[in-house]
Amino acid sequence: MRRPLFAATAAAALLLSGCSASDSDAGGDEVAWSYTSGDGETYTAAEIPTRIIAEASSAKALMEFGIEPIGIWASNPIEEDVSLQGVDFSGIEVLGEEWGKIDVAAAAELQPDLIVGDWWPVEEAYSGLEAGVEEESKKLAELAPVVGPAQSDSVVTLIEGYAELAETLGADPDQIAESRTAFDAAVADFQAATAEKPGLTALAVSPYDTSYAIAVPEHAPELLDFQQWGLNVIDPETPDPDFPYWETLSMENADKYQPDLLLFDDRWHPGNEDTLAAAPISSSITAFAAGQTTTWPGYWLHTYSDYASELTRLAGVIRSADENLVQE
Amino acid sequence: MTATAVVPPASMARSSVRAGVLLAATGGLVLLALLSLTLGSRDVAPFEALRVFTDPTPSADATVIREMRLPRTLIAIGVGAALAVSGAILQSLARNPLADAGVFGINAGAAAAVVVSAFVFGSMPVSGSVWFAFLGAGATTVAVYVIAAVGREGATPVKLALAGVCITALCGSVTSALVLADPDALEELRMWQVGALGGRYFPVLTQVAPFLVIGLVLSLCTGRILNLLSLGEDLARGLGVRTGAARAGLFALVAVLCGAATAACGPIVFVGLMVPHAARLITGPDYRWILAYSAVLGPALMLGADIIGRLVLPGGEIPVGVVIGVLGAPAFVLLVRYRNLVEL
Repeated sequence: MRRPLFAATAAAALLLSGCSASDSDAGGDEVAWSYTSGDGETYTAAEIPTRIIAEASSAKALMEFGIEPIGIWASNPIEEDVSLQGVDFSGIEVLGEEWGKIDVAAAAELQPDLIVGDWWPVEEAYSGLEAGVEEESKKLAELAPVVGPAQSDSVVTLIEGYAELAETLGADPDQIAESRTAFDAAVADFQAATAEKPGLTALAVSPYDTSYAIAVPEHAPELLDFQQWGLNVIDPETPDPDFPYWETLSMENADKYQPDLLLFDDRWHPGNEDTLAAAPISSSITAFAAGQTTTWPGYWLHTYSDYASELTRLAGVIRSADENLVQE
Repeated sequence: MTATAVVPPASMARSSVRAGVLLAATGGLVLLALLSLTLGSRDVAPFEALRVFTDPTPSADATVIREMRLPRTLIAIGVGAALAVSGAILQSLARNPLADAGVFGINAGAAAAVVVSAFVFGSMPVSGSVWFAFLGAGATTVAVYVIAAVGREGATPVKLALAGVCITALCGSVTSALVLADPDALEELRMWQVGALGGRYFPVLTQVAPFLVIGLVLSLCTGRILNLLSLGEDLARGLGVRTGAARAGLFALVAVLCGAATAACGPIVFVGLMVPHAARLITGPDYRWILAYSAVLGPALMLGADIIGRLVLPGGEIPVGVVIGVLGAPAFVLLVRYRNLVEL
């Protein structure tokens, strides 16, 4: 059932444009759209793609620059996902709200001409098409070219990648520049705040019932950014060998690192803070006992506006924090 | 496999041997409890670990031992005793050597209640879901008993087992349906699928302790009744036991014990099944001794398994329910084989 639909899509695209990205024989001189994607390849089309299906975070990034997709898929229920708040997806078809599950039949009916997701260099795959995703869902890639900027060691690079993609899709450069200016101001403010508290150390954590996971900045682009901008985010000593994003401690050892400021992964907040509070060892974590805690945006930032508001909030927390809470 | 012989008048000599072995076992339990306080993922020197009980100076080590390992140890002891003793009572009541909390739908009931509560109220901390687990365990025990008691003969062993199977299936389908519909419920269930002692501290202990203590004290006094019931329905009645009332009372005790145990740390297999057999192997058929031995050997098994689970993985721990499951299966096979040889 899916195949005829796909054939119809391709035929319609050919009829409309006389040419498509995958067809090189129909006089491919006219290139109206070209984009060098995260996987290193340059994709071209004779017309600027307008029927876009995007992973929800990518969709949010494009929408900030005025490019609205016609379909999205998310890894979690959209209403509950902290990374998808503050954006109006109404009128956009939702093709999945569970990791690894995309309704490809519904996607085919939307007749997309472009599919957008983050490129993950380590996994060498786009969001939604990684190892572990259901084979049925991966057929999404057959509907249209899949593109997107690469995840890297800075969230800023990722957002710049989306700005660049949005521009090729017809976004207003002035609007992009405007978001960027506001964001740069937030970064400057954050840098000023960390400069005021040079001794402040921070630790990014995610507590569970019996374990206490510490984020490894090397694999958390926003934490690398924070370090770049002057916040001393502690690098844990022994990342888990099989999943180096975290160093997982047993709850009994949760006092191993003593930061001045404790940052909770905001995706599971406030539940994770309650979990830590229930564990008696939390009284031996000086920052927690002193109430010097806040959240950090855990692995989800995709837009200048989200990043700017997080930086502004964190700058406020940093300014009011006691940088000498823990004596070395 | 339940006792069929009339209880022999225990000679002074045999009694004192049993008492001596029981005392030695209790000594072993105390040793395990001390190990449970001193061993764990956090490195604390053994003497330092015991010193925190006399020295009130606050320190992280003291917090870990007094507020994390101590409640955990006490919960393990209470739960181990409750499961083993209730297993002994259930095996006698059901005349079924394979009876334990699982067979009677008690674990399934607790899990279903936790999932329903997560579905209705959203996820909650362990100290909240404990009550729902308790409610579920109690409700299923009562339901199983009431269903089995309908009809002229009352709650016969076969009817009890069948009712247990029905209720288990019912609770299982409720759980599956809700878990498929609601991720909150799934998250909550994950904790209740395998019994664990990690993450349970004093609030959980104080919630279940009254039920465990009262249930255990009363259970340890039921040895005589169980001995008489094991003579068979007619003989017990002839000796003046009101068998219906006795069964109902014993069932209520089991509901309290299993409910509290499951509420405290989730479903634990094999303790209720295996420990009474081991106890019987040592003591012979007298339930007064079987109950006493169960109350000591059950906690020893729980503590031993929990300590192993804490030590095998560097930096993490294996839930006690998994350790007991892994160790319990071969141990149970050995036990049954050995008993068969003895009985042959």
